[in-house]
Amino acid sequence: MSMNNETTKSHSIDISALGREQRSNTLADETICITTGNLNLYYGEKRALHDINLTIPEKKVSAFIGPSGCGKSTLLRCLNRMNDLVDGCRIEGNVQIDGNNIYDKNVDVSELRRRVGMVFQKPNPFPKTIYENVAYGLRLQGIKSRRTIDEVVEKSLRGAALWDEVKDRLHDSALGLSGGQQQRVVIARAIAIEPEVLLLDEPASALDPISTLKIEELITDLKERYTIVIVTHNMQQAARVSDYTAFMYMGEMIEFGDTDKIFTNPGKKQTEDYITGRYG
Amino acid sequence: MEKTSDPTSTPARTLTTRMDRSRAIKNRITSISMAVGGISVILSIVLIFFYLAYVVYPLFLSAEMEKTTSYPLPAATQGKTLHLAIEEQNRIAVRFTEQAKAIFFNVTTGDVVENIDITLPKKTNISSFTTSRLAKGFVAFGLSNGQAVFAQHTYKTRYLAEGKKIIPSLFYPLGKNPIEIDRTGKHALTHIGLMHDEEKATLVAYTDDNRLLLNQLVFDDELSDEDNGDTEEISFDSTQIEIPNIQHVSKLLIDTSQSLLYVAHNNGEVSLIDISDLNDIQVLERKHVVADGTEITKFTFLTGEISLLIGDSKGKLSQWFPVQKETGLTLSHIRDFDSKHSAITDIVTEQRRKGFAAIDDKGQLAFYHSTAHRTLLHEVISESRLNFLAVSPRADTFITEDEKQQVQFWHINNEHPEMSWSVLWDQVWYESYPEPSYTWQSSSASNDFEPKFSLMPLAFGTLKAAFYAMLFAMPLAIMGAIYTAYFMAPKMRTYVKPTIEIMEALPTVILGFLAGLWLAPLIESHLPGVFSMLIILPAGVLIFAFGWKNLPKEIRQRIPDGWQAALLIPVLLFTGWLSMALSLPIEQLFFNGDMKMWLGENLGLHYDQRNSLVVGIAMGVAVIPTIFSITEDAIFSVPKNLTFGSLALGATPWQTLIYVVILTASPGIFSAVMIGMGRAVGETMIVLMATGNTPVMDFSIFQGMRTLAANVAVEMPEAEVASTHYRILFLAALVLFIFTFMFNTVAEIVRQRLRKKYSSL
Repeated sequence: MSMNNETTKSHSIDISALGREQRSNTLADETICITTGNLNLYYGEKRALHDINLTIPEKKVSAFIGPSGCGKSTLLRCLNRMNDLVDGCRIEGNVQIDGNNIYDKNVDVSELRRRVGMVFQKPNPFPKTIYENVAYGLRLQGIKSRRTIDEVVEKSLRGAALWDEVKDRLHDSALGLSGGQQQRVVIARAIAIEPEVLLLDEPASALDPISTLKIEELITDLKERYTIVIVTHNMQQAARVSDYTAFMYMGEMIEFGDTDKIFTNPGKKQTEDYITGRYG
Repeated sequence: MEKTSDPTSTPARTLTTRMDRSRAIKNRITSISMAVGGISVILSIVLIFFYLAYVVYPLFLSAEMEKTTSYPLPAATQGKTLHLAIEEQNRIAVRFTEQAKAIFFNVTTGDVVENIDITLPKKTNISSFTTSRLAKGFVAFGLSNGQAVFAQHTYKTRYLAEGKKIIPSLFYPLGKNPIEIDRTGKHALTHIGLMHDEEKATLVAYTDDNRLLLNQLVFDDELSDEDNGDTEEISFDSTQIEIPNIQHVSKLLIDTSQSLLYVAHNNGEVSLIDISDLNDIQVLERKHVVADGTEITKFTFLTGEISLLIGDSKGKLSQWFPVQKETGLTLSHIRDFDSKHSAITDIVTEQRRKGFAAIDDKGQLAFYHSTAHRTLLHEVISESRLNFLAVSPRADTFITEDEKQQVQFWHINNEHPEMSWSVLWDQVWYESYPEPSYTWQSSSASNDFEPKFSLMPLAFGTLKAAFYAMLFAMPLAIMGAIYTAYFMAPKMRTYVKPTIEIMEALPTVILGFLAGLWLAPLIESHLPGVFSMLIILPAGVLIFAFGWKNLPKEIRQRIPDGWQAALLIPVLLFTGWLSMALSLPIEQLFFNGDMKMWLGENLGLHYDQRNSLVVGIAMGVAVIPTIFSITEDAIFSVPKNLTFGSLALGATPWQTLIYVVILTASPGIFSAVMIGMGRAVGETMIVLMATGNTPVMDFSIFQGMRTLAANVAVEMPEAEVASTHYRILFLAALVLFIFTFMFNTVAEIVRQRLRKKYSSL
């Protein structure tokens, strides 16, 4: 999906027209959850992230926007060390979550990823039942109690606003669900293990508008309990769901701040150009 | 295209339509040729199946018979019949009579061809009669003066101007002089029994004063049993003894080795007497062989002179032979035949097979086969009692004589009496075997041989070979595939995968050759080394891995991620060499210097040089590339987003592998295993060359086996076309075809199911 349909012709987005109440957020008021310090990332010789310094507030939705290839997904994957799986990827600098550097050599990566959950662009339920998909994370931790698992599965599916749709077919394959439902199963799966942070990598870009709407409503619900970082190239979506927005360009963090401010009164020329559709 | 009015567009348009047409034609040609290809593949498989079934089909047919002619008994006035026989060409039959005549007659018309008197001493007449070795045409007459005459009816074919002519004659192998059995010269021989070979002859006779006499003749020169035209007297040494305490004799038979004498008594008992040592004759056993109140009416040998066929006055037919038990040799009841007879009057055995025919006093005739335990035919052919029966040497015609002195001449079509379900798949009690068994032993030089056509040892061998091959190949191939697809550096994978896949092109004959001539002796001489390798090799790898992990990081980082496996190559080579080198010391230390002997003495395992271990390894190597390649593809094609999804939930790579990757790849892994299995089941050259091809039913890893495929390859060249053996080999091929078909079908069905369940996005 490209942003052309929605934003190319308009010069700015009228946030009030999106039915969103005007708010004013300032980072200074927030509890900080994640900070990155001089984060550099190289794919082989190519430098993909340039000295990223970022603070992400707790229990808020932060959105990363920017043109394709700007490094927003790469930055997101740094937050739960998914980049470790990429060949030839090297990282300098640090990422602190609750004050601990996750790139410290004593860190248990699996434990980190349990605390920092992630949802991908394309729904990726396992070829198992809906129930088993949601229970997967619990089973990994060796939880055997049937009752505990039943409770968590129901709670997570309710949390992902999917319970009513699937409660009668929990033991059917998750692959039989629609794309939007699958994505919500994946979100349920992620929240079942009670992470602190939820990373969403363009979670709605492969979905139809109605499913997208449901996911967006879900994100708004979820921020009550989780720190959410979302990557999107749909600026309207960023505007609709996020409290804070970061604009990235060519591997650099151009601007990060209150969403309303970024969209209505960006501090940098590049941000404004992007938002008004001059490039992308 | 829109500008159709523009004349300049016309060439372009024709070009387009021409291209459209040629594209359509190509499309058609492709789809037709693909359809033809696909259909012909299916068609050829169906054809193979039907051809096999077509060759096998006659095995399951019953016998059929057809009456050719019927005529009054030839030369009926010259005495009652003692014995009937037909010669090889089905042209002439012979009737021996009580008046010492051998009446040869045309079997179709009943015209007498030749009437030969049997030379008897003066003033004697025939008091008893017996036959021996039907195929050779021996007959013996006991005389009223205590002597016996021994004759043979033979036939010569002459090719004359008017066509083929068969000239019958009577020959006296022991000379025309009668042999004296009872030296008193006063008592008639009421029963007589005979067996002989080139070296000696044994005659037993029962006299009218109730003495059982045995006479053994040892020839000075080897006896020829054909009429060579010379009537040279045969010289022999004769030993005569009397066997005491045997009375009420009704039939006498001597076995083929002339060491056992069977005596049937009037009361339905049979005595088994050991006559191998004439100085120490022992009665081994005396037992009832028929129900109380019934009499033995016919007592004869099956071809081969090992089995006794006993017919009784109630029409029961049974087969017996002596079996060595702890208590000694005992006459054992082998099987009863499903007969609807009334009192049996004659049992005649086929001369070249283990079949026989029986007639009874109600005019019924039936053909049986002993090994197959099968009744091939049962028919009422006469309204009166049938007295005599003769079956031709080729078992394709027979004649009967009934109470009204009428002779019937029949043709019978009975090609494959040896076949039955029980022969193929059940335990069968073969002659001279201590108990019923599954045995494959298809051919021998002699007609007396009982063919053993059990497919069980072959099917067992096939599955055993496949089992050991899979035991070796499956873990290696699947683990290797998992490592290659999931952990190995992509660059290394591009070398490893094609290398293993190219191994599939290795001709199996080379593998078999190496296995049989290099690997088998190597394993035999380094047996403890092979087994210690199972411990030393993994232990070496683990120790190395542990050491590697504790090395300083600087050294470890010199090896790029995913290449560490290459470090194991020298480790594996070294530990492999080490275990081989340790073989001898281990053997000295733990197995008294010889592990094979130790296995035999302590575990009772017999060691064959070419055994399942060798086959397992060689055939394992042959199927590894197949399993590896398909498994690797299946694992590699598990979508990365599933792996990432699992890792992002905090799963370790190992958990991800077990719970997500293998699960998703399971249809592919399963079909890899089944295809490998199908290949192992059908594999021929490796098992042919790397085993001794002994059809044994022993699951021991140190024993060989014979598989269905190897059996067909070994025996097909020597099987006579259209014989039972030939058709059973086709049946074995059909079974093999069904085996592999079954494996592949099950594999495909399960794979489809699994794919439906676990297919990824």
